[in-house]
Amino acid sequence: MRARLAVAGALVVGVVATALLARARVAIVLVVCEALFAALAALWVSPSWRAAHPVGTRLAQTVMTVDALGVASAFVSTSVNGNLEAGVSMTIVLLGLSFLTGSSGQISLGHGAFMGVGAFAAAIWANHHAHSPVVIALLAAVVAGAAVGFLLGLPATRLRGPYLAGMTLAFAVAFGSILNAFSSWTGGDSGLQLPTAVSAPRWLVDLLPPSDSPLAAATVWLSQISLVVAGVALFAMSNLFASRVGRSMRLVRDHDVAAELAGVSLPRARVVAFVISAAYAALGGALSTLVNNSVSPATYGFALSITILALMVIGGIGTIPGAMIGGLIFAYSTSSISWITARLGLNPQGNLASQLNGIIFGVLLVGAIVAAPMGIAGAGRQVARRWRERHHLRAD
Amino acid sequence: MGDASGTPILAVESVTVRFGGLTALRDVSFDVRPGEIVGLIGPNGAGKTTAFNVVCGFVRPTEGRVRFPLIDRDGLRPAQLAAHGVARTLQGVGLFPRLSVLENVMAGGQTAVGGGFWSGFLGLPSAVRSERHLRERAHAMLARLGVDGFAMRLPSAIPYGVAKKVAVARALMCEPRLLLLDEPASGLDEAELDDFAALIAGLRQDMGVLLVEHDMEFVMPLVDRLVVLNFGEVIAHGAPNDVRHHEAVVAAYLGVDE
Repeated sequence: MRARLAVAGALVVGVVATALLARARVAIVLVVCEALFAALAALWVSPSWRAAHPVGTRLAQTVMTVDALGVASAFVSTSVNGNLEAGVSMTIVLLGLSFLTGSSGQISLGHGAFMGVGAFAAAIWANHHAHSPVVIALLAAVVAGAAVGFLLGLPATRLRGPYLAGMTLAFAVAFGSILNAFSSWTGGDSGLQLPTAVSAPRWLVDLLPPSDSPLAAATVWLSQISLVVAGVALFAMSNLFASRVGRSMRLVRDHDVAAELAGVSLPRARVVAFVISAAYAALGGALSTLVNNSVSPATYGFALSITILALMVIGGIGTIPGAMIGGLIFAYSTSSISWITARLGLNPQGNLASQLNGIIFGVLLVGAIVAAPMGIAGAGRQVARRWRERHHLRAD
Repeated sequence: MGDASGTPILAVESVTVRFGGLTALRDVSFDVRPGEIVGLIGPNGAGKTTAFNVVCGFVRPTEGRVRFPLIDRDGLRPAQLAAHGVARTLQGVGLFPRLSVLENVMAGGQTAVGGGFWSGFLGLPSAVRSERHLRERAHAMLARLGVDGFAMRLPSAIPYGVAKKVAVARALMCEPRLLLLDEPASGLDEAELDDFAALIAGLRQDMGVLLVEHDMEFVMPLVDRLVVLNFGEVIAHGAPNDVRHHEAVVAAYLGVDE
């Protein structure tokens, strides 16, 4: 109860402060957002409420995260917003791979290509239906991703471990050639531009903080729509983890004979895992197409699949915070690598600089496997548990 | 004691199983009726496990068939068993190692709860309700077997005897009409054996039980009928006391043991 009051109190102070500091029209939005945040936080800190309303808790968590990041995105620079968008798209992709690997115990080396399917599907849709809403383009990408996931999931009913990994690897490697084979649709090597830049609805533009350039306003809107889409994806995935379907996946992963005896059809579960996972990857890819306004086949090469896999392991397999940590690392990998290149005085076009990305991810990956096999999220959870135990002991 | 007459829940009819040149089962027939406990015994390699696997649909009979007359079904596939009220425990414990004891038990009853993919995905109230209901049932089942204190542990962190009971709790969650127990007594100490025998005896009023077991002292007082296999054939079939003195059985198995 005291914790709840503290959270509420702190937020009320925050709301009043922002209202006083910010310009009038923006302030209304912020006050509404922070009031929402405060109300949800107050509910969320109550353990009994959390126990009684699992879905409500997940919804509150999601809305709080989206709300906080959405408000923050209005105050940060264009480049930070760009990082935020990249991180958010990658988080969605990682949620999908985490479900496949963490829950159903299958591995995919082809998630870069699944992401590419969504990226191109959204671009192709936008090129053929210039004025259809953003949501429709995203849905088209999800459907395309699910369909490709289904096709690649079919062999998963018969293949295991390294053989399945090899099959997804083949898809990742072949993806570039597939795009080229359909160059009238995909634009071949040069990729596709969206016909019209995604623009914000006017009422939202009016509410956004006035900025010095129209470009900045567009960026803010894009990172906010990314956040909302990611929020929906995150909420649904956390539901799925906790649902009967999520448990069926864990049964298949842990003990396939016992899973069958519990009524789980193994082929069906394995295909469903692929469909969901690929649909998530496609959604992430589609979002990055919308944000970048274009799509290029070079982005979705085999290296991306490996990066995605590394990010999942570093962040933590099978957990939602792990996917978010992976997304964060991805968001800042490019800019931090160019910072390192500059600090070391390397030639940015040089051999070492161009390999630095792979080297750093390799080191992080090995470090994570050695020091934190459950990833950063797993290590964090362990630290929290130890801290709680010590806290309890002292209280006794 | 239940009524052991009437339509069998399980009927194995003239089943022969060949793996290549090897005949694992030859013309095996037996049945299990609701309310009775049937023991399937025999020396190592006699075909007991194959018989279980045929009943569960993991192995298809080369000849003959497996029927479930009471529910009017023939030859169910493994993933269909739970929904039709047929549960099986596995040798050892066969629990899901990375799931809590509670979730292991919930897994056994998840075919019974409603809530498809979309209601779970969207977090609809119906999915939440059915999960909560399943959780409560799993707690109640653990309490019924006296192991509810272990609900939040992982299978690796509980005693073997408790794990065996958790496996039975998981099997009972689908409200079985036929319960198949694969070596329920293995690895248990004296006190646990008595406990387990009482538990199984108490189940017969709701279902038919078929168990595979090595431990004769455990099986003899517990079962209503025995089916004795040797080299893939039924060499004796009947009440424990009749089978005990059957010549072929004494020669093949019990004589050596006693």
